[in-house]
Amino acid sequence: MYRAMSAESQKKLYFPERLQVACSQCTLGDLCLPRSLDPVGLEQFEHIVNKSRPIQPGEHIFRAGDKFVSIAAVRAGCFKSYVIDKNGEEQVLGFYLPGEIIGFDAIHEQIHRANVVALDTSSICGLSFDSVSEMARQLPQLQEELFRVMSLHIAELEASAADLSAEERIASLLCSLSRRFASRGYSSKEFNLSMSRRDIASNLRLATETISRVLARFQSAGIIKVNRKKVAILDSDKLKDLARRDTC
Amino acid sequence: MGITTTFPSELITKYGLAGPRYTSYPTALQFHEGYDAEAYRRHVDSSNDDLIPKPLSLYVHLPFCKELCYYCACNKKVTRNTQRAVEYLQRLDKEIVMQGEMFDRDRQVIQLHFGGGTPTYYDDIQLRHIVDQLSANFLLSRSDSREFSIEIDPRTVDEDRVAQLADMGFNRVSMGIQDFDHAVQKAVNRVQDEEKTLRLIEASRESGFNSVSVDLIYGLPLQTPESFERTIDSVLSSRPNRLSVYNYAHLPHLFRAQRMISSEQVPIPEVRLQLLASTISKLVDAGYVYIGMDHFALPDDELAIAMDNGTLQRNFQGYSTCRETDLVGMGVSAIGKVGNSFVQNLKDIRAWEAAIDEGGLPVWRGLGMSGEDRLRRAVISAIMCQGFVRFAEFERKYGIDFNDHFALELESLKPLEQDGLIELSEGTIEVTSTGLLLLRVIAMKFDEYLINDLQGKSYSKVI
Repeated sequence: MYRAMSAESQKKLYFPERLQVACSQCTLGDLCLPRSLDPVGLEQFEHIVNKSRPIQPGEHIFRAGDKFVSIAAVRAGCFKSYVIDKNGEEQVLGFYLPGEIIGFDAIHEQIHRANVVALDTSSICGLSFDSVSEMARQLPQLQEELFRVMSLHIAELEASAADLSAEERIASLLCSLSRRFASRGYSSKEFNLSMSRRDIASNLRLATETISRVLARFQSAGIIKVNRKKVAILDSDKLKDLARRDTC
Repeated sequence: MGITTTFPSELITKYGLAGPRYTSYPTALQFHEGYDAEAYRRHVDSSNDDLIPKPLSLYVHLPFCKELCYYCACNKKVTRNTQRAVEYLQRLDKEIVMQGEMFDRDRQVIQLHFGGGTPTYYDDIQLRHIVDQLSANFLLSRSDSREFSIEIDPRTVDEDRVAQLADMGFNRVSMGIQDFDHAVQKAVNRVQDEEKTLRLIEASRESGFNSVSVDLIYGLPLQTPESFERTIDSVLSSRPNRLSVYNYAHLPHLFRAQRMISSEQVPIPEVRLQLLASTISKLVDAGYVYIGMDHFALPDDELAIAMDNGTLQRNFQGYSTCRETDLVGMGVSAIGKVGNSFVQNLKDIRAWEAAIDEGGLPVWRGLGMSGEDRLRRAVISAIMCQGFVRFAEFERKYGIDFNDHFALELESLKPLEQDGLIELSEGTIEVTSTGLLLLRVIAMKFDEYLINDLQGKSYSKVI
């Protein structure tokens, strides 16, 4: 079923272009892979980064079956990763915000198993994985950062794999998004979601109407306020309780 | 906001200029064909994607009438050929399927309205078929709080039919009366029996309709203050929950049917004012609350309660208490509102039918609201529904400096303040009891399109 590696999409993504914004000047400097590097390491790192052109909503950056060549760091926008199951149904695996790295799941088989599509007008930095691993051998700080990011990702997945109720899952997702937006310098209390309620339902393995029903319940309890795709968190303590998390 | 005790005849004469009713802002005059079926689909998709999608409101337009009422300015088709109406129904079935497929199935329909024309032109079997078709393609709410209403022409309905309509799931009825005076009825070609109409109101209550609304019209040919008072007294004896008292706008150059009315028989402006003044005082004396525009309600009616607690809404049917819905309009010329956009179906029956036969949505035109449109729509809605505008609310929500953004508008309100229609203070506009009778005049000051094009001569007179 897997398509042959889509040379076209790889080319579009990593066309050689001089870096316009250096990592040292990037607003995501404190979040992204090279954050612990010294100025010399940073300059070295900048040489392996390929910045992409703007990616339109609905545009894919990886397709299931693509040969694994690169990972991608989200610079702006939002992505979702998904697979199509045996019944032809879309199963959303996760969402990626600026500063987060896409593609680690493809390392072991050297093939992308998930499709990754932009939900908003977005941009990414492409990183040849060979170059990253090569550099990580020389720069222990980079290696540590790679381990840290992968570990964080595994921890999030394990937390969401727990046997949680619909309310707990949704509260947990809101907490997670709130924390991730906050660490990117956005408001932790009010954010616009790029994903549709169908995407969220698929990701949390809940019925679409359950998402709306639970959010409406949170809203009438004064925990959140929803306006179309905008969420304002009014009572983050209660939300943390519901999510069974200590921090949001 | 109580109704004024002294009737401001002079002001009404002074401000009796053209003006829209603001059942929507921007008004339908701004709709354009650049908004097509594709644009509508995009807005529907995006409304489905909302985290908590709005519940739905359905409007079904049934345009046929057996006879022509000469005052009518609605989009209708007068025919005694019932086969014609059957052909229409076949297309309506298809439109309901197409529309139903676009909206996520978990979106409850909490409001449903059959309007016309004369919905009861169709017999019970046909009407039940439409309800069944809607039910098969949308998720109709089963809650008692749902508002499923139908316009009834008392000439086409008997007690048994009323019971049938209740059984189909309708729980609100709006009855066209206009005027009980026989001479007036003859002059407008709508003769209906007073006794029978009052019996139908009684029968509606017995059948379980929890709200009866009655439409009256003042300014019809041959009406006198005395004759209309008698009609009002008779209507009040049945104590309808709501009353709409519309003004007849005599515009024979725009509406062909009105050419059947001789202009000399239409009451002169002074008489119109008397008709309006005595109607208002009679209804208020009888305990009705003036909601705004043409609408009155008993104090325990949801409209009156919503007016008190500030949750009143304005929509294409006038005023409503529903939380905000997305409105799906079906049938010829029907208007919908989805997300931040308005959409209208083709208004010619043949064209509407042809579009459906080709398998497409019968969209004629529409409008996607800009940020500025939404801001002004909210201000106009506050004037029409709440009777006050608090600047701070709009500054917070829309990120504007109200005094700065609306400097010209606020300046243009000053004459209205001098005439006592509004009170302007630091950060608020308050509609006075006098202003309540002239809501359109106040709202018009915030209508950007009207400001840009101060010619709207074709609007009906404000009063």
